[in-house]
Amino acid sequence: MPVGKRRSSLLRSPQFSSLVILIVLLAVFAIADANFLSPLNISNMMAFLPELGIIALGMTLLLTAGEFDLSVGAVFGLAPVVVMLLVQNGEASIGVALLAGLLLCVAIGAINGLIVTKIGISSFLVTLSMLLVVRGAALYITQGFPLKSWDQPGFFVTLLAGSFNVGSFRFYTSLWWFIGLSLLAIYVLRYAKLGNWISAIGSNRNAAVARGVPADAVKVWLFILTSVLAGLAGMISAFRISAASPVAGTGYELEVIAMVVVGGTALTGGRGTILGTIVGALMLRAIRNGIVLIGVPGLAYNIFVGVIILAMLILHALLQKNAARG
Amino acid sequence: MEVLRLQNLQKSFGSVRALKNASFALNEGEVVALLGDNGAGKSTLIKAISGVFPIDRGDIYVRGEKVSIRSTRDAMDLGIETIHQDTSLAPDLSIARNLFLGREPVKLKWLGVFAPLDLAKLRGAASALLKRVGISKKLDADALVSTLSGGERQSIAISRAMQFAAKVIILDEPTNNLGVEETHGVLRFVKEVRDAGHSVLLITHNIHHVFQVADRIIVMRRGEIVAEQTVADTDLLTVESIITGADMSALLKETRAK
Ligand SMILES: Nc1ncnc2c1ncn2[C@@H]1O[C@H](COP(=O)(O)OP(=O)(O)O)[C@@H](O)[C@H]1O
Ligand SMILES: [Mg+2]
Repeated sequence: MPVGKRRSSLLRSPQFSSLVILIVLLAVFAIADANFLSPLNISNMMAFLPELGIIALGMTLLLTAGEFDLSVGAVFGLAPVVVMLLVQNGEASIGVALLAGLLLCVAIGAINGLIVTKIGISSFLVTLSMLLVVRGAALYITQGFPLKSWDQPGFFVTLLAGSFNVGSFRFYTSLWWFIGLSLLAIYVLRYAKLGNWISAIGSNRNAAVARGVPADAVKVWLFILTSVLAGLAGMISAFRISAASPVAGTGYELEVIAMVVVGGTALTGGRGTILGTIVGALMLRAIRNGIVLIGVPGLAYNIFVGVIILAMLILHALLQKNAARG
Repeated sequence: MEVLRLQNLQKSFGSVRALKNASFALNEGEVVALLGDNGAGKSTLIKAISGVFPIDRGDIYVRGEKVSIRSTRDAMDLGIETIHQDTSLAPDLSIARNLFLGREPVKLKWLGVFAPLDLAKLRGAASALLKRVGISKKLDADALVSTLSGGERQSIAISRAMQFAAKVIILDEPTNNLGVEETHGVLRFVKEVRDAGHSVLLITHNIHHVFQVADRIIVMRRGEIVAEQTVADTDLLTVESIITGADMSALLKETRAK
């Protein structure tokens, strides 16, 4: 492909248009309120970003394969709650409890994946039911009360929620997790054999199966991955704020899916972009943070967020149409 | 030389007997057309050969050896490549990635599914292939399949089957939904595939196409093979009446006599 052609296709790609919008949004917020780019505010945004961002990485791969997961917000809540209960009841050390929590996430993801692929029920219905089961379980085992989280310093706390200063910025280790996992996800989706399979499955499952691609196994593993990432994000969050609440992560499933599709990944499968998802995660974070700073009344937040998401989706749809014609 | 032989294949879906005792053989370097009305069992027959689902009964021989085909991968490993009716390509992937889907060239093989694609090799092989089949001038190996026309997609699917030196290439209704020009392109391509030494099983219900490319004709009705003739020995009207079942007995006698 000639360089000029490749460049123009990059310029027209969904992740690029998302990036442009992100920069515009950042500029608008920065001009409207000088505090937006202050070290404190940037540190704040960067503390939240990885927690939803990590889930969004798994969701991007899952969406690219043509499925999605509505139970991630509930898993985000349940995993740390289970970890803390195990520790508080003296049944396990913190390390073992974390492992048990992650294994629980593996089980939840596997159940989602097996029901979707082997019984053939849509992932919407399966994971919606799972959302209720998982959230219900979190509420039941805690009797609805938040638990005080592990707050003694140690290896795992540093690993998941340690913080460090860069100049006057304060970052959490979760940012490293997000960066590392993002690089891995980019590699898998764009450069690995597995990524080729994931895109093919979402684009035309029958075609992929006819070429010997194990479509169901790939999907089950992606459900597991997404669940595990949601659980990991929940643990990171619980450690950071030293509390595990059974209602933590409520509504995150939609926020995460919004990040992914705003970044340009197709809800219908086949076209996924991790770079787009990173841009999408930054964008939603910046919007939620920026509209507070510029003084939009709290109850009106979601109007803004919703309108911006819609605008982004319309933009992607128009670009897609254009590309198909051109 | 016989490449593929099917003996008494049977397949039922619940109470529907889609295949009842289907038998035939395919020789090296010939195009055999499989004809029959909608629901005759053509797709079922080729899905059985290509490993989409297991057969209930019967034997399959490849080059005289009895084989068991339990998955699409088994069929591909035996040199049987199928281009299914409902497009076999992933529209969101590039031509190159489609050509090697499921058989991607990789570096660091020990990484398994996480192994990186050998993109240079992928692109190089794809361009070479497109050139070999004479469609490189128009098509870029990096172009997305979703930007191609129906005929171009069929050509890509057929090229993919050829590249793995498949002994048998099965085409299920390859000219469905194609324009006149594109249809001719695909039929020309089928002849080239045969001339390159592959055997082709062509499923269609367009008799005119059959007389343009096929060497032999097999007709199915209600899960059975009711006639088998060389194209040189028959004509359009005769075949048409076999398909629809008009004056069956006389024609069957004629077939059996041969
Ligand atoms: N997966 C299936 N489940 C149930 N019945 C099927 C299935 N596939 C095909 N059939 C039935 O088997 C018969 C043969 O179908 P098919 O092989 O698709 O015919 P053709 O390709 O010749 O039009 C039809 O009666 C069809 O309804
Ligand atoms: Mg058919």
